[in-house]
Amino acid sequence: MRDPKVLIVGAGPAGLAAAAELTKRGVSDILIIDRDDAPGGLPRFCAHPGFGIGYSAIPRFGPEFSARLVRAVEDKNVRILCSTTMTALDNGPAVSITGPECGYRIIKPRTVILATGIREANRGNRMVPGDRPEAGVLTTGLLQQMVARSVPFPAAMKSIVVVGTEHVSFSAIWTAHHAGLKVRMMVDDGPRISSFRPVGWLAKAIGIDIRLRTHVAAIKARDNRVSGIVVDGPRGTETIACDGVVFTAGWIPEVAAVATGPVKVDGQTGGLAVNRAGLTNVPGVFAAGNVLSPLKASGSCAIQGRRVGLSVAKYLGSQS
Amino acid sequence: MSAQFDIAVIGAGVVGSAIARDLSRYDLKVVLLEANTDLGDESSKGNSALMTEGHDTPAGSLERDLVVRGYQRYMTEAPQLGLPMRKTGAIMLAWTDEQRATVEKLVEEVHSEGFHNVHLLEGYEVARRWPQFRPGVLCAQWMPDEIIADPFSTPYAYVLDAVTNGVAFWRPWRVSRAERNARGWRLSNNRGDVLDAGLVINAGGIRADMVESLVGHSDFVMRPRRGQYILLDKPARAIHDIIAYPTPTPASRGILISPTIFGNVLVGPTAEEVEDRDDRGVTEAGLRALRQAIDDMVPSLRGMPVNTIYAGMRPATNHSDYQIIPRFDERWLTVAGIRSTGFSGALGIAEHVMSLVFPNVFDKQPVNPVRGVRVPDLSETSIRPWADPEKIGADPAYTDMLCHCERISVGEVRDALNSPVPPASIKALKRRTRAMFGRCQGFYCGARVQAMFDEAKVKRDA
Repeated sequence: MRDPKVLIVGAGPAGLAAAAELTKRGVSDILIIDRDDAPGGLPRFCAHPGFGIGYSAIPRFGPEFSARLVRAVEDKNVRILCSTTMTALDNGPAVSITGPECGYRIIKPRTVILATGIREANRGNRMVPGDRPEAGVLTTGLLQQMVARSVPFPAAMKSIVVVGTEHVSFSAIWTAHHAGLKVRMMVDDGPRISSFRPVGWLAKAIGIDIRLRTHVAAIKARDNRVSGIVVDGPRGTETIACDGVVFTAGWIPEVAAVATGPVKVDGQTGGLAVNRAGLTNVPGVFAAGNVLSPLKASGSCAIQGRRVGLSVAKYLGSQS
Repeated sequence: MSAQFDIAVIGAGVVGSAIARDLSRYDLKVVLLEANTDLGDESSKGNSALMTEGHDTPAGSLERDLVVRGYQRYMTEAPQLGLPMRKTGAIMLAWTDEQRATVEKLVEEVHSEGFHNVHLLEGYEVARRWPQFRPGVLCAQWMPDEIIADPFSTPYAYVLDAVTNGVAFWRPWRVSRAERNARGWRLSNNRGDVLDAGLVINAGGIRADMVESLVGHSDFVMRPRRGQYILLDKPARAIHDIIAYPTPTPASRGILISPTIFGNVLVGPTAEEVEDRDDRGVTEAGLRALRQAIDDMVPSLRGMPVNTIYAGMRPATNHSDYQIIPRFDERWLTVAGIRSTGFSGALGIAEHVMSLVFPNVFDKQPVNPVRGVRVPDLSETSIRPWADPEKIGADPAYTDMLCHCERISVGEVRDALNSPVPPASIKALKRRTRAMFGRCQGFYCGARVQAMFDEAKVKRDA
C-alpha cells in the first residue's frame, strides 16, 4: 500500500465533507479510514429527519444524509477503508493503522485530517451509583446500533427512562418509540429542555413525563435486569419502575487514539486543540468536526469538514 | 443410573478451580460444579488483582502459609499457562507521626518473618521516585516483589487446564441436596440431575455456608464484605504506576490505588459488611470514600476520566482465618472463608488440599501426563494481536477491531467463543477477552459483540 497524500480518519460527516472539498480543489490520492464496518458515521444509525442542516439544501433522514456524503466522494480517487483502526499518531505525520485489508502498518501521508467524532458518556463515566445489571442500561448509540443491526432487546425490556433532553435524547426517543419501547420519563439536571422546545411539547403529547432539575441517584436491578431508577428532584426522591435506562448526550470527543501522542488536547473542551485553519500543534495534522468540541449537529460538522478540506488543499498547494 | 465420580468440587471460583486443576493430575474421576452459568462469577470477579507475597496476612495463620505458597507457585506456573504478570512493587505510605510509627514497626515485623526484600523508605526518597503522592510523606514500607496479574484469565486458565486434563465441568449446576450414601454423597440440583461422589470438596465461596447447611454443618457464619471500586481510564497510568496504600488502622486496611494489568488504574476497595451477599450495588457513600482516597494519596488523579464503578464481595466469615475443615469420616472437606486473599492463595490452598486428600482419602500419586494449556495474554504490556505480524499474517481477523477502546479484534472474540470452556454470558466473554472493558463500556461495540455471541451460541446449541 502506497502512502496517500491525505489520510482522513473517520468517515462521518466531517471526514466525508472534507474529502469532497479536497476532490473539488483538485487534490487526489485520498485515503479515508473508519473503524466501523461501513462509512457514514453516526447519522447512519439515526433513522429520523433533521440531518445536514446548513450543509444540504434540505434536512435529510440520518441514513440518507450519510449515504449522500459517501456518494459525493465515490469515483473521485478517494479510497475508503472500513474496519480499519488508527492505533497511534506521531510526528511526521506517521500513523499506525490496523485492519483486515491493510494489516498492521505505519503510513506517512503528507497530511492527516482527524475526524473521529464523539461518544456519549455512559453510566460508568458518569459514576451513577446503584446495581449493575447485565441488561437494560444503554446509551443512545447502543440503542440505535441494536435497532440498526437487528440485535434483539432483552425480553423484559418494555418501558424505559431517558436521561438527558438534548437533540440526541429525542433521537433516542424516536428510535425507542419505533422499536416498540415505551418511554416513561425523561430526566434532566438542567432547568429547561436543551433541545428545541416544540420537541418537548411533542414528547409530552405522546405521554412522556419530563422531569427537570432532576438527577439519577441510583439504578435498581432484579435478576440482572433493570427494575427501576431512583431520581432526585424538586418532588423529592422517588423510585421510578422501568426496565431500561438510556443515557444520552454527555459528549466526549473521541481523542483516545491520539491522546498518548504529540497532538494536544484542549483542556477546556476535551477536544483537539486547533488554530483557525483547523491545524493542530503537529505539522500536517488537521482536525474537524465533533472531535474538536462536542455538540455540533451533523450539518455543522460537514460544514467544518468542508472548511478544513479547503485549508488542507491550500496547505498542500503551498508545500508543493 | 446417576453419574459416578470420585470427587466433586463445588464452586468454580479461583479456589475451586485451582483445586480441580491439581486434582486433574491424579487418576480419578473429578467433577467441578458451578452454580452460575460461568466460572469466576462471584467473589473472584471483583478483587484487586494483586498477587501478594503474603506479608500482609496475620503471621502464624494458615492464611499466611498458603498465601506465601500460592505466590511461589504462581510465579512458576502462571507463565506456563500464558498468564501475564507485572512486578510493579507496592508501597505503604505514612503522612503522620502515628502512621510513621506503625510503618516502622511493620517493616521490622515483616523483616523478622523472613520477607527480606521489604524495607523502609524515607519520605524524601518516596517523593523523588514517586512525585505523584500527596506531599508530606514521612516514610513508607516498600515491597518490591508485589505483583499485578490478570484476575479473570487466572481462574479460566485453571478450569481450562482441569478440563483439558479430564475434569468434568458442569454448569449451571447448583447443589440443592446432598444425601449420604455408601460411597460418599449423592448430590442433586433443582432440575432433578443427580451425581454420586466419593468425596465432596465444598469451595462454595460466598455461598459455602449454604452448601454446609445441606449436610448439617454450621462451623462458621458468612460475613460478606463488599468492596467498591473506581476504574480509571488508561491515561491515569502515566501518572501512577505502582500499588499504593495508606498505613492500615486497626479498623481497616485502607483503599488501594493500583495499576491493572490491562493498563488502567484501580481505586478501591471499600470494606463494608452487608446483610445481602448479592448486594454488589455501588453507593454514593462508597464513591465519596474512594474519591477521598484519591485526594489523600494521589490528588493529580482527581480529574482523570472514569471508565466504570463496580463492587466485589469478599467471602469473609466470623473467623479471621481460612476455614479448611477436613471431615474425611464423612467424605466431606470444607474450603471456605477465603476472605480477601483467594486470588493470591488459591494455588497454596489447592496444594494444601492435595496434602489432606492424598493419601488419607485416596492412596494415589500424580500419574497423568499433563497436557499443557495456554490462555491468551490479555495484558496491555505484551504485544497485542493486532500488532503481531505473525498472528495477522496467519489470520487477518486479528486486525478487524471490534472493541475500539481496548482494541480487541474479531479474531480474539471468535477464539474465546470457540474455547473448550466457552463463555456463557456477555459478561463472561468480557472477562475472557477484555472486550467492552474500556472507556465506552461496550456502548459502541456492544451490539456487534452481542451478535457474535448469539451466533456462536446458536452454533453450539445446534
